[in-house]
Amino acid sequence: MKQIALYGKGGIGKSTTSTNISAALSLRGLDILQIGCDPKRDSTRMLMQGRLIPTVMDQVRERGDRAITLPDVVYTGFGGVRCVEAGGPEPGVGCAGRGIIATFQVLERLGALHADVVVYDVLGDVVCGGFAMPMREGYAQEVYLVTSGELMSLYAANNICKAIKRLSNRSRGQCRLAGVICNAKNLPREEELVATFADRIGSTLIQFIPRDPVVQRAELNRATVIEYAPDSTQADAYRLLAEKILTNSRLDIPEPLEIGELETLAYEFIAE
Amino acid sequence: MSSLRNEGCTLTGALSVTTAVRDAVSIIHGPDGCAHHNFSLLHALQYENDQLVLPSIISSSLRETDIVFGGEEALARVIGRAQERHPGAIFVLTSCVAAAIGDDVSAVCGEVRDIPVMVIPTGGFLGGGFHDGVISALVSLSYLGSTGSPSGMVNLVGEKNLEYEADANFHEVSRLLALLGVHVQLRFVRNCSLADIRKLGSASLNIMRDASLSGVGAVLSDRFGTPSLPAFPVGFEGTLAFLEAAGRKLGIDSAGAIASEEAYQQQVIRRFADLQGMAVRIREPGPAPGPVLAELEKLFCFDLQDNGPAPQIPDPFPVGTAGLSRMLHRWRRLCRA
Ligand SMILES: Nc1ncnc2c1ncn2[C@@H]1O[C@H](COP(=O)(O)OP(=O)(O)O)[C@@H](O)[C@H]1O
Ligand SMILES: [Mg+2]
Repeated sequence: MKQIALYGKGGIGKSTTSTNISAALSLRGLDILQIGCDPKRDSTRMLMQGRLIPTVMDQVRERGDRAITLPDVVYTGFGGVRCVEAGGPEPGVGCAGRGIIATFQVLERLGALHADVVVYDVLGDVVCGGFAMPMREGYAQEVYLVTSGELMSLYAANNICKAIKRLSNRSRGQCRLAGVICNAKNLPREEELVATFADRIGSTLIQFIPRDPVVQRAELNRATVIEYAPDSTQADAYRLLAEKILTNSRLDIPEPLEIGELETLAYEFIAE
Repeated sequence: MSSLRNEGCTLTGALSVTTAVRDAVSIIHGPDGCAHHNFSLLHALQYENDQLVLPSIISSSLRETDIVFGGEEALARVIGRAQERHPGAIFVLTSCVAAAIGDDVSAVCGEVRDIPVMVIPTGGFLGGGFHDGVISALVSLSYLGSTGSPSGMVNLVGEKNLEYEADANFHEVSRLLALLGVHVQLRFVRNCSLADIRKLGSASLNIMRDASLSGVGAVLSDRFGTPSLPAFPVGFEGTLAFLEAAGRKLGIDSAGAIASEEAYQQQVIRRFADLQGMAVRIREPGPAPGPVLAELEKLFCFDLQDNGPAPQIPDPFPVGTAGLSRMLHRWRRLCRA
């Protein structure tokens, strides 16, 4: 079983990338489980024909965690991908991080965390311990950073490196950085910048995903690019990424950059 | 309990005050365990002090889903349940976890109701201890008092409700004030009603239980303009000084009271004449009574030793002449044993 987690700044394209990876892998005949770890709960929407599935935390709230069964929280979507949404509170109340921890406890108890590949799609900034949960206790061993060439996005990716580094030297922690995915904003020299960033933190750029309007068209049709436009070059990019993830064996303990270094790096690429 | 006054749980400190209001209900906004633990502790200590009234505490019973989604609904529900008991006021005390997730407790309590619903912030992880809880509760409850023209009577502020000798100390202070012809109008807060608390602002003098409550004294003097005495008296000389200070603040001539108290003190000293030269080992000076111990040493020529019978220095130190008399009585039993 392979367990991967995608982390990155909010809105950078984690869910878009995750759903396309899951869809591509499922078409290779693999059993895929995608778990949205974001109270925004829209991780798996494009695998579910645009449907927002009931979340684990909503179910726990409505029925109590003892009454929940597997079919209450796991929904099968495109290509047989099994989808789970952790869910959580409305913005501004409660404790979303605790919601992630509680979700893992429920999934653990239900024995839900089994598949050929488990894909964790996690809220951008690892704001508290709860959002580091997928990286802990031996869940996702391979973390992929999703970033564009924008400074704020690199900044978030760099912060996540700090969390990976901290967790990697715990005895139970087997979490490592598996690579950087560049989800482009179509900035000049963007691929080069993100590749250099990946190199500096001791990792590698695993795939460049272009920014392409077909993503929005697929979204309007409530589908992944893999499903909606399988012959597009964008679909090719996602399939290639899925393939690389499947065969990737490079696992690094990243060395996060100082904020100054990061700014200098970004500036070098913008200035020219 | 008392020796832990700077440690312990903020929530317990605040509850020791709020549960002393007869016609109010205290809500603990937290998991059941916080309520259970505090209820048991208060009940056990009060039972030991021969009070058989159960503390009026209910819990918002926060569970994990309340933590994830926010505990405000659970709080609103438990306020509803508290109202069914028809209390005159509801005090809402926050637990650590409710404070940590940032429940907007003030907003929930601020909804319009026909009785006061008052928030007392008591998240213990913020660094406070038992005593901070006491102060927080006293300050909050002071908002239930109204201003009034000075009555010539006094308030006792911040009696230690979990202390074994709380009532003995109260009777001693009342006895001393009676020598001045002054009465206690309110014990803030011990075994009183909300109607009693309303009189808070009309006292001519506030007498604080001890110096650690000076902040509360300042709040009361700001709000109501009431002067205060910093502490209940300890020691023979301290007791006379207390009479003098109380008289001065109240504009009463204390000469007669002081003379009669001094005569009584001489009686007490004679009664314990057999303690002269007693060998004692003073273990720890304790917080307050440094000068009091020096005074006792002088009066009874104690033979201070590094070992030998070690009488307890009670903490809190007993109040007034009667308190010393009780303590000396215990010391005598110890050295005769
Ligand atoms: N490669 C891309 N090309 C074009 N649009 C994209 C691409 N990746 C993401 N988007 C758009 O960005 C938006 C945010 O992406 P999403 O996957 O929801 O971000 P996240 O999960 O990181 O918050 C989506 O609405 C999607 O349309
Ligand atoms: Mg997302």
